[in-house]
Amino acid sequence: MSKDKMQSQAVQTTGHAWDGDLQEYNNPLPRWWVWTFYLTILFAILYWIWFPAWPVAKGYTPGVGKITYVDAKGVAQTTHWNTRADLMREMNGLAAIQKPFFDKVAAQPYAAIAKDPELNNFIASAGNQLFADNCATCHQAGGQGKIGFFPNLADDDWLYGGQFDKIQETVTQGRRGYMPPFGEALSTAQIDQLANYVLSLSGEKMDAAKAETGKALFHSETAGCFYCHGDDARGRQVIGAPNLTDKIWLWANVPNADAPSIKLAAVKNVIQNGLNKGVMPAWGQRLTPEQIKVLTVYVHELGGGK
Amino acid sequence: MASVSISSKEQYNFDVVRKFAIMTLVWGVVGMLAGVYIASELAWPFLNFDSPYISFGRLRPVHTGGVIFGFGGSALFATSYYVVQRTCQTRLISDALANFTFWGWQAVIVLAATSYILGFSQGREYAEMEWPIDILIEVVWIAYMIVFFGTVMRRKQPHIYVANWFYIAFILATALLHTFNNLAMPVNLFSMKSYSLFSGAQDAMTQWWYGHNAVGFFLTAAFLGMMYYFVPKQAGRPIYSYRLSIVHFWALSFLYMWVGSHHLHWTAIPDWTSTLAATFSIMLLLPSWGGMINGIMTLSGAWDKLRTDPIMRFLAVALSFYGMSTFEGPIMSLKDVNALSHYTDWTIGHVHSGALGWVAMITFGSFYHMIPKLWDTKLYSLRLVYWHFWLATIGILLYIIAMWISGIGQGVMWRTFDDFGNLKYAFAYTVEVVKPFYAMRAIGGMFFLSGVFIMVYNVWMTIGQAKREAAELDAKLAAKLARVGA
Amino acid sequence: MNFNFKHEWIETNVGLLLVLTMVAISIGGLVEIAPLFLIKNTVETVKDAKGLETIRPYTALESRGRDIYVREGCYTCHSQMIRPLKDEAVRYGHYSLAAESQYDHPFQWGSKRTGPDLARVGKKYSNEWQVQHLIAPRSMVPESVMPNYPWLLSTPLDTSDLVDRLRAQRAVGVPYSLTEIEYQNNVKRFGEAVAQQLHIPNAQQNLVKQAEEGNFDGDRSNITELDALIAYLQVLGTMVDFSQYDSDHFVTFR
Ligand code: HEC
Ligand code: HEC
Ligand code: HEC
Ligand code: HEM
Ligand code: HEM
Ligand SMILES: [Ca+2]
Ligand SMILES: [Ca+2]
Ligand SMILES: [Cu+2]
Repeated sequence: MSKDKMQSQAVQTTGHAWDGDLQEYNNPLPRWWVWTFYLTILFAILYWIWFPAWPVAKGYTPGVGKITYVDAKGVAQTTHWNTRADLMREMNGLAAIQKPFFDKVAAQPYAAIAKDPELNNFIASAGNQLFADNCATCHQAGGQGKIGFFPNLADDDWLYGGQFDKIQETVTQGRRGYMPPFGEALSTAQIDQLANYVLSLSGEKMDAAKAETGKALFHSETAGCFYCHGDDARGRQVIGAPNLTDKIWLWANVPNADAPSIKLAAVKNVIQNGLNKGVMPAWGQRLTPEQIKVLTVYVHELGGGK
Repeated sequence: MASVSISSKEQYNFDVVRKFAIMTLVWGVVGMLAGVYIASELAWPFLNFDSPYISFGRLRPVHTGGVIFGFGGSALFATSYYVVQRTCQTRLISDALANFTFWGWQAVIVLAATSYILGFSQGREYAEMEWPIDILIEVVWIAYMIVFFGTVMRRKQPHIYVANWFYIAFILATALLHTFNNLAMPVNLFSMKSYSLFSGAQDAMTQWWYGHNAVGFFLTAAFLGMMYYFVPKQAGRPIYSYRLSIVHFWALSFLYMWVGSHHLHWTAIPDWTSTLAATFSIMLLLPSWGGMINGIMTLSGAWDKLRTDPIMRFLAVALSFYGMSTFEGPIMSLKDVNALSHYTDWTIGHVHSGALGWVAMITFGSFYHMIPKLWDTKLYSLRLVYWHFWLATIGILLYIIAMWISGIGQGVMWRTFDDFGNLKYAFAYTVEVVKPFYAMRAIGGMFFLSGVFIMVYNVWMTIGQAKREAAELDAKLAAKLARVGA
Repeated sequence: MNFNFKHEWIETNVGLLLVLTMVAISIGGLVEIAPLFLIKNTVETVKDAKGLETIRPYTALESRGRDIYVREGCYTCHSQMIRPLKDEAVRYGHYSLAAESQYDHPFQWGSKRTGPDLARVGKKYSNEWQVQHLIAPRSMVPESVMPNYPWLLSTPLDTSDLVDRLRAQRAVGVPYSLTEIEYQNNVKRFGEAVAQQLHIPNAQQNLVKQAEEGNFDGDRSNITELDALIAYLQVLGTMVDFSQYDSDHFVTFR
């Protein structure tokens, strides 16, 4: 195709045809298209000037954009724009909002924290978030727990104690509840008797004779339940052994069972097989001491903290 | 009509095109059925039925592989063979090799889908096929290159038509990407399992260099090739601008390969790669639109046909969605926008405005044009094309709107802080919030899929009609011959 | 020179069209991928006070768990990449380092968070929770849309090709040791205890030991796929002790 033809007949077809009728006009590039394209190139160049962009030798062009943040020692640092420095800067902003509260939380004893209304608002917010993303997966959204898995934190019964310091200890270090299996040490009849006794403690109507023998067994060296659950069967919080005299159950699904035989079976199962699932992870590594303090107050408020 | 067909039957190998065309519809149904199913699993998780074989994680690659490689791939084989023959006015150089690409490609899709269900996966998006399948793909692709390039070489016309440039770029790029992204060490010769050659950051970059260009060349450049043939054909008008074709072809080919790391913004990959990806993505906007402008302006001389010709509607809507998703893409490539959109359903919405709106719609439009020609008859029903069009359009809108709401919702909720500087929403809460939109998406998918079923029926009836016509013709001919002979 | 005139050359010559297209599509990848292998700071060096590398390859059991993670397609819903953004720092913890996935063949950063990020899920929950959650997620988290994975608990872990699997990873650069020299090298890099775990000749024995001691699936009598998967989940994101470094230490790598 010759030059002159091209220029004189700008909107003519190129003169080729394929498959019969396929042709092409030779319209010029739309003006706005060309200019917008140039604009995007200009944009790109500005971006390259500002941000780290081109690899050169064993490094890259860092760009002229700068970020200033304050490091952990309180010293201001300035560096070329990068995502990690940007986070440092953002976290400075977050710290500016939260530091006053966290400082107060760190400095004050629990009793004082509980009395400070503004701090309580903060704890309601921070505790809610921390609990929702970390604890609710196990203890469920309202802290109501899950029978057979995780203790209820919203009731008045505590495995390890509902005092602030106990809760703080639980959260920081984690817990590992353990009860040995008695399937081999005791006969089926004995386990049956023990179960009858344990259930009778919380007012369930059980076979009185069996419960009586169970009571003796409970306090005997043969079974040795009293070592952990205590002479009064009210539990021992140092080792997380629960109170067996209240109506609050964690492992044996007693409250949800409608027939007495099912309740009995559930308790027998615990005695027979023991318990080794009660692992509460330690949060000391993952959360800061202040966050744990916040959570402690939050959990304390959830239920009848002591 | 009949005489033309006889001569073009000799002139072109339409047999392989027909086979690919039919499999396009088969994989369209299979892949989108899988899509509707996984969409429903997200809305109603019991649908996983505790079965390993249909659990979401295994079924999702069946969907993506089924639609991209089964549906999209077969459509590209079909149309590229059709277009290259007609625009070069020559037959494919080898019927046997072309046939091999057909059976080989079908084997790839069947093996890939089966292997995912059985739990064989390389864990790289869109390249999940394990190494033996990767090798088969490589072989099929080499055969494809030979057939396609060889046919172009045998063309009767000095000029190579623009549609073929795009098909060529797609074939080359796919070969390059597939080869490097799948380099892996098998556990042993008798094991399907392998470990990729690269690790961590380098592996991520290689994978998304591939992953983006699976989008760029497989789902975009190649379908532009389709557009460049079928749009002017159906509109009966010349392409709007040859010069625009040239500029946007080269710009697209060059720029696409730079943008993979916009899938890795803010990750542990160095920031400079991310900057390059963002800027090249922005620079891609206009070259992408070059294709849309060329298409729309070609159609624009025939706007009146839009009212009467549902096929034109498919093509016009496809181009609009193409324009929209290539606008949305560069926006999502900006670091700050991506910080919000990445990991959310917004990406899924973007994917499907491209995949359903562009890829599927342009395929439907092209096929409604091509199928009657392949079988040498008229389309069974234009009314059903209307129905298909509306079901598809409603389906897409439901899908995309649902994903925009849930995606932007997720992005915003995840990063919302309250006045005390604490996160406001728990992750689990955000899962609950998006559930209604997952249901809405599943329903959108059902609309879209029912449109495909209508198309399958229409094509089925068209082929049946073609066979009857051919039989009648044969009978007439035989009768004539008999009379002449007698 | 007329623009179209030049292009006529290319579009009438397949060879030229192929070559030029190939050139056009090769540059981007080359410029972006090659430097990632050459620029040293791309992958951070992470050493503890004693100069040992704390980021180590997975143990035999963890590696098998990772295979299962890939097999089940967990990456279709879960990312393993915490970005340096404020909300992610608060929700998931310290941003992920490139070094933390340096032995990941393939990487599993993911592209979709239908579920939460898992990059630092290690030690966050107990094994018991993981078992129950994987078997029936909605029993633990009512809102969840995650599938149940009961078969993991009932399928014994296949270790017949364990050695081949580790050797294949060694072949692509993961420092598992086969020879005494390699082993000694690992002792220097990771310390004795870790080097033991990375020694392929001990793989089977190490795997059994870790599964029995860890009792990940809550049943010591067998080693199931769930043992392996949970062993893997429990190590995710736990290899760097960030308290050892200044809060902006890793900024210097960018
Ligand atoms: C992996 C599951 C899991 C997670 C996550 C979890 N817990 Fe626990 N938690 C338990 C288990 C199990 C127990 C009971 C331990 C036992 O039986 O010895 C427990 C016990 C407790 C107790 C003692 C209750 C009592 O009656 O004395 C408190 C307090 C507590 N958790 C608070 C929290 C807080 C706060 C968080 C979040 C930071 C949390 N838990 C996260 C599983 C979990
Ligand atoms: C070594 C200490 C130990 C001994 C001995 C012991 N227990 Fe326990 N028991 C525990 C602990 C600790 C728990 C709670 C486990 C946890 O929270 O993980 C528990 C839980 C229980 C429960 C479940 C309570 C609930 O809320 O569901 C019952 C019932 C029970 N024990 C009964 C008995 C009986 C009967 C015996 C004697 C045969 C006995 N225990 C012996 C430590 C012991
Ligand atoms: C269909 C999507 C989906 C798939 C597939 C999936 N998950 Fe999940 N996952 C979720 C959702 C949603 C959550 C959040 C709710 C919950 O905890 O169940 C989640 C939560 C989790 C969590 C808890 C994370 C945390 O910090 O609370 C773990 C661990 C997990 N998934 C592991 C896995 C593993 C391992 C696989 C593969 C075997 C898998 N998931 C497959 C959707 C999925
Ligand atoms: C009936 C229509 C369809 C439905 C209902 C559907 C549904 C889905 C669903 C539910 C997902 C997973 C999203 C997630 O993980 O959250 C998905 C992913 C995907 N689909 Fe579809 N799909 C359909 C059609 C298509 C078509 C026609 C294509 C391509 C031509 C396609 C390409 C993809 C791709 C590429 C992904 C992966 C997206 C990503 O990883 O970001 N889909 N689809
Ligand atoms: C100029 C054009 C385009 C640009 C710059 C672009 C950009 C992007 C961006 C930024 C993402 C999100 C990455 C993330 O955050 O994870 C994305 C995802 C995606 N886009 Fe596009 N897009 C473009 C056009 C298209 C088109 C036309 C399609 C056609 C189907 C498409 C298909 C996809 C797919 C499948 C994904 C999901 C990848 C994944 O995460 O699995 N894109 N794109
Ligand atoms: Ca592959
Ligand atoms: Ca076990
Ligand atoms: Cu992309």
